[in-house]
Amino acid sequence: MTSTAASRRHRRRPLNSAWGYVLVAPAMLVFAVFSIGPTVFAFGISLFDWNYLNAAKSTFVGLENYLRLADLDRDPSFLQTMGVSLYFVGAMVIGGTVMSLALAMLMRRATKLMLAARASVFLAHVTPIVATSLVWIWIYNPRFGLANGVLHLFGMDSLDWLGSRSTAMISIIVYTLWHEVGFTMIIFVGGLATISGELSEAARVDGATGLKEFWYITLPQLTGYVIFVVVIGSIASLHAFTQFFMLTGGGPDHATATLGYQLYQQAFVFRKTGYGAALAVVLFTICAVLSLSQLRLSRRLNRTD
Amino acid sequence: MHPRTVTPTAAARTRRRVRPGGVLRHGLAVVVALAFLAPLLWSVRVSLATPGDVYQFPPKIFGAWDFSHYPRAWAARPWLRYFGNTVFIAGCVVALTITTSLMAGFAFALMKFRGRGILFGLCMAVMMVPQTVLLVPNFVIAQTLGLYDTYLIQILPWAASVFGIFLMRQFFVTLPGELFEAAELDGAGVWRMLFSVAAPLARPPMILVALNSFMGSWNSFVWPYLMTRREEIRPIEVGLQTFYGAEGTDWNGLTAAITFTTLPVIVIFLFLQRYFVHGVYGVEGGVRG
Repeated sequence: MTSTAASRRHRRRPLNSAWGYVLVAPAMLVFAVFSIGPTVFAFGISLFDWNYLNAAKSTFVGLENYLRLADLDRDPSFLQTMGVSLYFVGAMVIGGTVMSLALAMLMRRATKLMLAARASVFLAHVTPIVATSLVWIWIYNPRFGLANGVLHLFGMDSLDWLGSRSTAMISIIVYTLWHEVGFTMIIFVGGLATISGELSEAARVDGATGLKEFWYITLPQLTGYVIFVVVIGSIASLHAFTQFFMLTGGGPDHATATLGYQLYQQAFVFRKTGYGAALAVVLFTICAVLSLSQLRLSRRLNRTD
Repeated sequence: MHPRTVTPTAAARTRRRVRPGGVLRHGLAVVVALAFLAPLLWSVRVSLATPGDVYQFPPKIFGAWDFSHYPRAWAARPWLRYFGNTVFIAGCVVALTITTSLMAGFAFALMKFRGRGILFGLCMAVMMVPQTVLLVPNFVIAQTLGLYDTYLIQILPWAASVFGIFLMRQFFVTLPGELFEAAELDGAGVWRMLFSVAAPLARPPMILVALNSFMGSWNSFVWPYLMTRREEIRPIEVGLQTFYGAEGTDWNGLTAAITFTTLPVIVIFLFLQRYFVHGVYGVEGGVRG
């Protein structure tokens, strides 16, 4: 036994060979050139007054782009941008998590009808954001839109959904929930499939009903999934861009200019590449902190399991 | 009450008898499903309505039908070109992503080499970088490398996917080791193990990876919008946005264009939806670490 094992170790086994490096090389090269490198480069750009026509003419300005973040007279100021982002992220995370959890509970049984219902909700997530943003622009149309048609049914006055400061963000949130909830619902459906039915049954024998059973038995077993959904939800909402570009263009009056949208606006419309890069670094830092805390939390959860 | 003989099937039926809550649940699920489908159905309805009915309030659901908007919208832009570009780009992206995910997933799951842990950690770290962060630096890089306004810049950055590598690795880890020991005794090298033993078994995760990168590629907008300028190489969603910019008030034509540009994605999804609706995403995405 030992002699064959030793002789086998002597020969170079294919799965221990250096081919491993060759196999991971293409993927690592793509990541290095288009993700890891650029992230470092973004930090570099943020230290320059970058000349987008001729990079060689850029001048080093140190932390000046970051100092501008503290400038409250800018329109919009960084503080305002972060406030708008927080509104959107908060609504998406709370609304999205609650809605998708409720939908997952509703559709948790895998009957034919439930599977079809899940597919219908997920379908919205599959549609291109440009195409369905356009659909919703028409739905939100102040004069002929379906949204006002619904209000009309209930005897309410028409709203200028996307055109007024007070409703623009809510309109985008409703669209984004419609688009994203299917995805997180499916994650929770997967989570619900892994938890044990025994505990719920025992609770039911002990007289726990619906909501109580959900709160004390089901939800604690889903904690890992909830954390995951909250974190990917906040990252996705922080850098969401296309629906803002299509529906409102950051307006009216910067009411929907989130961090992701401002980054585009500053870098590609106003051509303030350096300042845009500084915003990108801020965005990256927030996302990294969120991802790392998710990793931490889920590790701790797994350990106590 | 009927007198009934208790056969096993009857007993099973009584045990599984629909509870009153079950009917309510199913009813509610149907309502929710219809609410989610409503915007899409509404868009199709507008594309088939007469212009007179569209510009009317309150919106008319049971108006006349008008099929003339599809040919008009189709003629307004080079849609065939956009479709061709998107299919070409998405095809390349899917083929490359499958290959790189298969190779890297295999190596990370089954091979032993120094630095494997660090390299895998680096892969996972890439997931933390949102695409928006990369727009500014990659724009500069694309211009420096001469990749601005090419097909390549629309393909290469998406040629590898963390999700794909992760999914493949999770799958290969579960394969029994004897499989590869047997192949080794037959004198197989790494490549034969990968392409003759491992890859044929990996169809289910491959389909998920392919679908994920196909959808991502078909739906992508910001990237090609900023990285290209020529109409001839731009993909379908950028084309749709341009159409909106030019014909923003013709909602019959716009909804027609929305319908025919979105239909392929929906058809593909409907064919493959069984891979999604059971919640595979959550389980295989390895939420529990």
